[in-house]
Amino acid sequence: MTAATSDVPRGNILYLGAVGAVEAIGRATRRTLETVGSTSRFLGDTVLAFGDVRTWSPEVMGQARRLGVDSLPIGLFIAAFTGIVLALLASYSFTGAVPMYFVGTLVGKTVLLELAPVLTGLALAGRVGANIAAELGTMRVTEQIDALETLGYDPLAYLVVPRVIAGTTMFPVVVAAAMIMGIACGWAASALLLDLSSAEYVKGLRLFFQLFDVRYGLVKSASFGLAITLIGARRGLRAEGGAVGVGSAATSAVVYSAVLILVLDAFWAVTWLLGHEATYQ
Amino acid sequence: MKKRMNDAVVGIAVLAVAGALLASLAWVKQTDFGQRRHEVIARLRDVGNARVGNAVVIRGVVAGTIQAIELAPQGWVHIRMKLDRTVELPVDPVVLLNESSLFGEWQAAIDSRSALPADQEIRKEISEASGERGVLPGASFPGIGKLTAVAGQIAGDVANVASRVQTAFDDQAARELRASIKNVSDLSAVLAGTVRAHASDLDTVAVQLRTAVSSLNRTMTSVQRMVERVDTSAQSGDLRRIVDNVTVASAELRRATTQVSDLAERLSKSEGRLDTFLANGDSILAKVNSGKGSLGMFVNDPSLYRRSDSLLVQLQALIADIKANPGKYVRLRIF
Repeated sequence: MTAATSDVPRGNILYLGAVGAVEAIGRATRRTLETVGSTSRFLGDTVLAFGDVRTWSPEVMGQARRLGVDSLPIGLFIAAFTGIVLALLASYSFTGAVPMYFVGTLVGKTVLLELAPVLTGLALAGRVGANIAAELGTMRVTEQIDALETLGYDPLAYLVVPRVIAGTTMFPVVVAAAMIMGIACGWAASALLLDLSSAEYVKGLRLFFQLFDVRYGLVKSASFGLAITLIGARRGLRAEGGAVGVGSAATSAVVYSAVLILVLDAFWAVTWLLGHEATYQ
Repeated sequence: MKKRMNDAVVGIAVLAVAGALLASLAWVKQTDFGQRRHEVIARLRDVGNARVGNAVVIRGVVAGTIQAIELAPQGWVHIRMKLDRTVELPVDPVVLLNESSLFGEWQAAIDSRSALPADQEIRKEISEASGERGVLPGASFPGIGKLTAVAGQIAGDVANVASRVQTAFDDQAARELRASIKNVSDLSAVLAGTVRAHASDLDTVAVQLRTAVSSLNRTMTSVQRMVERVDTSAQSGDLRRIVDNVTVASAELRRATTQVSDLAERLSKSEGRLDTFLANGDSILAKVNSGKGSLGMFVNDPSLYRRSDSLLVQLQALIADIKANPGKYVRLRIF
């Protein structure tokens, strides 16, 4: 190898290296454009599939139960411990200088605006996103989706749209329940574990409470549901290569969903929360 | 069957969560479903950092919440407050917005106008806001932000002054101050030496002072006795007699003063006449000196003097002759 390359003129080596680098850049660009194009086409086809109501409507409630109702326990569990830990952390931080009723303020604001939507979203990204990716991936590698197409079913209308609708509508339900649970458990922890009366906790909770906080959290969670179901469906439909491909699709669905949840969280904070603060003051 | 079960489960879950969420929101927002509270409106020029949901307190007790804050015509702001129905407003109520803690919480305190603080600005705001029927007048205290801004300005001024002092108090000033302190120290040492040197004199002075004080004490005792006697005299009527005598003496003194005044007036006239007489005398003497008139000629003319002297000699000889021969010159005949 060394002998072979030593025979090649130095100018040719530089030329080949430059060509290879340019080819790599072009390849990456092409793949990116392919991904963007295929994703755009997937999103466009999914939107078009919403018109096929007869195909997706019978499936929505089943998916809503699986993705939403069945996710309530994990959402409530996470919210309960989040509320408890928040109350204890607030008490630990406020000792001495800040009045203790601000524990209620901190728990309420934090749970409503951030922790209930984001933590529940991350948990459901693992549960729902992986579930969708694995299910659709398995159907893809076992050619069930091809069979559906052969039978004249639009796989997007039959498989993707019901999941997207269920995820988008049921995520706010799960997050709303998580909000209530988180604040209630923070209250219980304050009353039982801290030297804080219920009246003080409620005073702090009501102090800076705005309906906007709830609205913001619910809309954000709906966007998380939309993103998780779309990513899960997209990764599952692109699965290939058998069980390994299915596992890879499920893993990538969870990772992409988690990343997108955090990106969306920042997006909403910048575009909506910041604007609301500006108009509020 | 399974499809219906899914529908039911999802429906129950959605309804349960939605109901719980709405109930929680209504509870947190203290929504008045049964109209169990009554509304009170206040108008102010400025509401500071008061927000919807802040507490309304009467004599320190939470009696309701602020339901709405809205702009009103002519530069006013209306605050709608919901109070418990059982709450009775104070007599002639006014609303004061202030911070209830250092952490940004505000409250609307309803109190009687007579209980207003002595702040002239607040009273002026309340007075301006009064007059609208069915609306309570209100005013807002400056928030911590304003106070902090003022404090910050004061701190800036203090820092500025400190900076100027630092600029003024340079090394030269420090050296001068040190020299001044040294001078004061030297002066103190000199004073200490002087005091030591004059300590004996001071002792003597102290002894003399003590003697003087004792004399003064004795004098004071005498004065006290005299005062006692005066007091006794006053009580026995002697003082009255003395006063009467003094009154008489005063009247006589006034008469004597009048006489003296007349005498002085006459003396003044006599002085005028004397002045005239002297002036005339001066004039006569001037004429005499200048040789005018008989007397002047007599005084200034030596020949006249000599003739007069000769005349006197002759006159003496005549008198001697008359004495020697009276019959020669006097012939006495009776009948």
